[in-house]
Amino acid sequence: MSKTTAVISKFYKEYTSKTPKKLKIIDAYLFYIVLTGIVQFGYCLLVGTFPFNSFLSGFISCVSSFVLAVCLRLQVNPENKNQFHGISPERGFADFIFAHVILHLVIMNFIG
Amino acid sequence: MIFHTFIFAGLLLTTQASISDYISKSDIQKFVPSLESALESLNAEDLPNVYYAAKGFTLINEPLPKSTTDACKHLEKHFNNDLASEVLYQVLSAWSLMNCAKTLNKPLHTESTVKMLKAVLENLESNSADIRYAVHAMNVISQPLPNPAKIGQQLQTKLKEDDSLPSVGQALHAASLLGNAGTFAIQYVEDVVVQADEVDGRMLQWEGGLTVTSLLLTGLLTLPNSKPFTQVQADKFATYLLTRKTVQNAKGIVSLIEAAHALSASDVSPVSITFVESAQVTNLKPDLKIRISNMFGEPLKPAPAPVIAQSATRTTDDVVVLSKQPLNVGSTPTEFVLPLRLDPGQYRVGITAGAHSAALMVRVLGPVNIQWLEVGLGDTDGTSAPRLTKLQHPSTLTSPLQADSSHHLILRFSLSRPVQQPFLRLSSGKREIVFVAELDSSKAYKIDVNLATELSHSAHFEMELILGDSIMSNPLRWAFGNIEVLLSTAEQEQQPGHGPRPEIKHMFRPAEKRPPQVVSMLFTALAAMPLLLLLILWLQLGINFKNFSFAALPFHVGLGGIFALFTCFWLRLDMFATCAWLIPIGGFTFLAGHHILSKLAKQKK
Repeated sequence: MSKTTAVISKFYKEYTSKTPKKLKIIDAYLFYIVLTGIVQFGYCLLVGTFPFNSFLSGFISCVSSFVLAVCLRLQVNPENKNQFHGISPERGFADFIFAHVILHLVIMNFIG
Repeated sequence: MIFHTFIFAGLLLTTQASISDYISKSDIQKFVPSLESALESLNAEDLPNVYYAAKGFTLINEPLPKSTTDACKHLEKHFNNDLASEVLYQVLSAWSLMNCAKTLNKPLHTESTVKMLKAVLENLESNSADIRYAVHAMNVISQPLPNPAKIGQQLQTKLKEDDSLPSVGQALHAASLLGNAGTFAIQYVEDVVVQADEVDGRMLQWEGGLTVTSLLLTGLLTLPNSKPFTQVQADKFATYLLTRKTVQNAKGIVSLIEAAHALSASDVSPVSITFVESAQVTNLKPDLKIRISNMFGEPLKPAPAPVIAQSATRTTDDVVVLSKQPLNVGSTPTEFVLPLRLDPGQYRVGITAGAHSAALMVRVLGPVNIQWLEVGLGDTDGTSAPRLTKLQHPSTLTSPLQADSSHHLILRFSLSRPVQQPFLRLSSGKREIVFVAELDSSKAYKIDVNLATELSHSAHFEMELILGDSIMSNPLRWAFGNIEVLLSTAEQEQQPGHGPRPEIKHMFRPAEKRPPQVVSMLFTALAAMPLLLLLILWLQLGINFKNFSFAALPFHVGLGGIFALFTCFWLRLDMFATCAWLIPIGGFTFLAGHHILSKLAKQKK
């Protein structure tokens, strides 16, 4: 148990010290999306799925936003620079915005 | 029995057959209006119609309508010597038939008319019809024929050119007036008769219908010294003529009557053997009346003798019930009476009148009596014996039967002989239901109605017994009582079969029950909570806007505009309007975003 706590504290220290601030902002955003998704899922379990299309669009919105944010994080991360050669963080952000515009057009259409 | 049948068949072979119809007085009266209208509607093209009307009235022995002066004046007005010889003959003939010479006090024809007719007879171009009408016209105005032998020669020449049936018919008519010069026509008789068409084995006619058939029949029969037909052929021609007795135009009427007259005046005059009133007799009136006459319903001369019913055979089993019974003379010369005191049934009666015979189908009707009748109710399960009430024919049940769904209606009756149609009819208002009675082993009729299954509702029914048969003289409808049926099922109100049906309204799926508003609001707040957490986290991380410049403002405004548009799409807009708005806003945001992001990228380098 103490080992586990040690690992976690080590992990947390490493994270706070070595992760760039921009990535931390994205991580906070990811955490927010996960929490929102959990709340929606909890509602679905406790109250019911009606109206099902609204629940689906909200939940899918969370999942896909999470995926898009992860993609952005991967492209922005300086450690992955050699993998995304020639793709600047700005280019990644522009893609992220564009994908969101398309995604939410579909979500709004589906939400009913 | 077979022996008798052979005798009768032999009789049919040795005697001549007969015809089964005749032209009655009422048939002839039906011709009068057609003839009258032909005489009244006078116009220049219709000169032949005046002739046909005048000829028709003469043939049927009816007096002409009162004033023929108009018709005579009409003939005089349109008469001239240039008319075709057929019309010339018809006008002259009509003039003479209507006695116009007396009415108008002058003859119609002149010397030039006679010259004209002689010219037709001498003209080598004249065909057989021209010659025939010219000869007849000369006959009408009582002029002697110039050189009959030469006319006969001319006719023979023309017949060699054209030996069609109408041409030969005209030649026969002409030849009958030529005396010795006309004897050449005899050679054509056999040939013409052979050309007649037989229809269904019972009619003979020549191709071309009533007009041609009449022309040839009269032509053949007026020819002196010819016996063109056998009796069988004459009967078949007569049968054909009788099928045409409903003819309505004046020409057809004249053709029909002329031919019928010619046939009945010949030595093979067809004999008509028919029923006077109907083909059925009853026990009360057992006299079968038979009419034996010529084609016009007139007595035969000489009277046929002997008139004998050769046999009467029951059709169901071919039993001969009567043979060689002479018929009595009836009230008129054409009527003969045969008393038929026979059992009810269908009989085939063979009649011979002199040399003529006929097979007639006769029905002898007899009464049917109800010997006994029982009606009552029985139980469905058959545990107790049915309670039956006996009835005599005209009487009825004193009180209605009271029945419910556990009952059977039972009707039993016995008749003096079986009938074809024994029915029980239950009726209530406009509704009725009919049951058929069946013979049981004891030769009684029985009907057993399971009320619960046969009836659909409770009602008060009238019960009626219906008996019918083709040889029953007293068909019967006997309402013998009532029955009150109480069923457990209610009477269904019947929808009328027409009129508008109720409108079909589309039903949306009903919305499911929503959770209470408190719960919804709680979860809305819960879903919004992480946003607050995000802001807190971001603040802790030390987010800042120091890199923000006013150059970035258009991009943020554009992006905000897109999401505002999406909100509008959710709330009220449709996809088309949204896309139309998205293109300019998206384009603006793209340019602004491209500008600001490339600027940032340059700054980093």
